[in-house]
Amino acid sequence: MANILSSLISAAGALDAFTQALDVTQNNVANAQTPGYAKQTQLLTAMPFDPTNGSTGGVRAAEVVNSRDQYAEQAVRQQNVLLGQAQQNVTSFTSLQSLFDISGNSGIPYALNNLFTSFSAWGQTPTSTDARQDVIDSATDLANAFRQTATGMTQAAQNNRSQIDQTVVQINNLAGQLAAYNSQAMRDATPDAGLDAQINSTLEQLSQYVNFTASQQSDGSVTVLVNGQVPLVIGDKTYALQDEPVTPDPTAPNPGAPPTMSILASDGADITSQVTSGQLGALVNLANNVFPQYLGDGNNAGDLNTMAKQFADCVNQLLTQGNISDGPPPVAGVPLFTYDTTNATNVAQTLAVDPTVTADQLAAISTGPPEVSNGVPLALSALADPQSSDDEINGASFTEFYGNMAATIGNDLNGANNSLQVQQSALAQAQNLRQQVSGVSLDEEAAVLLQFQQAYEANSKLITILDQLSADTINMLAITS
Amino acid sequence: MPAADTAEHLSSARLEVKRACDLLEAPNPASLEASSSALERAISGLNDCRRGIRPGVTNADVRARVRQLRAELRHAGRLLESAADFYRGWERILGAMSGGYTAGGEPAPVARTGKLYCQG
Repeated sequence: MANILSSLISAAGALDAFTQALDVTQNNVANAQTPGYAKQTQLLTAMPFDPTNGSTGGVRAAEVVNSRDQYAEQAVRQQNVLLGQAQQNVTSFTSLQSLFDISGNSGIPYALNNLFTSFSAWGQTPTSTDARQDVIDSATDLANAFRQTATGMTQAAQNNRSQIDQTVVQINNLAGQLAAYNSQAMRDATPDAGLDAQINSTLEQLSQYVNFTASQQSDGSVTVLVNGQVPLVIGDKTYALQDEPVTPDPTAPNPGAPPTMSILASDGADITSQVTSGQLGALVNLANNVFPQYLGDGNNAGDLNTMAKQFADCVNQLLTQGNISDGPPPVAGVPLFTYDTTNATNVAQTLAVDPTVTADQLAAISTGPPEVSNGVPLALSALADPQSSDDEINGASFTEFYGNMAATIGNDLNGANNSLQVQQSALAQAQNLRQQVSGVSLDEEAAVLLQFQQAYEANSKLITILDQLSADTINMLAITS
Repeated sequence: MPAADTAEHLSSARLEVKRACDLLEAPNPASLEASSSALERAISGLNDCRRGIRPGVTNADVRARVRQLRAELRHAGRLLESAADFYRGWERILGAMSGGYTAGGEPAPVARTGKLYCQG
């Protein structure tokens, strides 16, 4: 009778254990598509079996083991942060590139080309009022094109600052969610697979926005540090980030320049240099490096303003050095362009043709000696292909300088697109690796690693050979860019 | 070699590198092995193509295809590097878990004595 009872007890225990195991499996299946969920495994433990002293043996359910691997999770987040950065760069550079038309059919290059054509036409008929009026109209178009481009870029820079605001808010919201999850994890004695999934899903969302490290604590909470250094979430506390526009120092060469952006930790410390990647990293880089290159900052006028000022100054100088008539007395010409002379970073946005200038005030006669009746328009049209360094910007003609600006943005966009494509693959790869790693035994891994090492070395050699072959091919084809 | 043939060889090489990239997205030993074969075929194709190129003679289509091949190669290189980084880190963790740390504070090398790996 006792044996039958023992068997029944043992069988009942086993049934309980297998029921629990089945529950765990069912939960795994139900959560197969739940973001952040990791497979759980029900461990079983053998009970003591000794019929002589009444130990009935059998099996009991032990703890439920989470298959999550923090190293694999971190690898996915590392790729995700780079993907967020690449996506933001593609979006931002695409909108910037639309401001720099290189087809020559619109914008600054189109207007510049038309102005050079009108200078040339004026040179052929220096006394023609129509030719002079064409010059004024074309100059007005060029000034408009500069203003439109500068205004477009300024608007893009403002949008960029707004996006930084929004991204910081999103980061702080996610940090708040994590702090709430931490609070729950610290209260609950037993690990909760659902809570664990929520925490990891939130961490993955956060990794789109900013670079950080996350470490699991013994109390079940997750500590999040921006760039591994600046606290964002510790336990149930959030250390919110802030963003702040930084206006140039009043003693800087350009105190009226557009602001740059800084990111501050909750204690007010400037952590801008710690925000290196993710969507926020890309936006901060745009605000502090890309836009100032074109629109200027406290120390530099910016390429767009430099070009606008130098061109306007060249044209004004040639016109004012010339004469409208020989006289007597000779009548000097007047400057054509005006701009804000008090702020070097505001030239392109304020460039205009002086509305008081009329066609008969444009000087065509260069005083020489020798005096040339169409000397000024000839000198103006020669600006298209400058012979003197005074008519160049950093060794480039005005058209080339503009082309370089547009090419820089084009290259940045191209690089961002390539980076996005590669990063999408790299993230898929990291997700696959995470899938492979979770729940794999150490012995299996040791064998796989050995095989992987050999395959990695072989592939590296093949890539090197291919790279060399393609470089040789490029050299054979005399490809320069 | 006519430019059309050269361009075709370059496209084939690029397709092989792209195939390797697809395989490298799930870098288990088997797919790495398969990606090696794809890269070897790309090398072979590129070698054939180079024999037919006359130095200094350029063709816009050929130029474009060489650039595409290079972009794909960089893609493959990046995937291989990130997979290798991942496994290197994993190996360090595994070493520390199985053998502890060396006197220098580095994870112990993964012990593989007595292990045999067979592939059918």
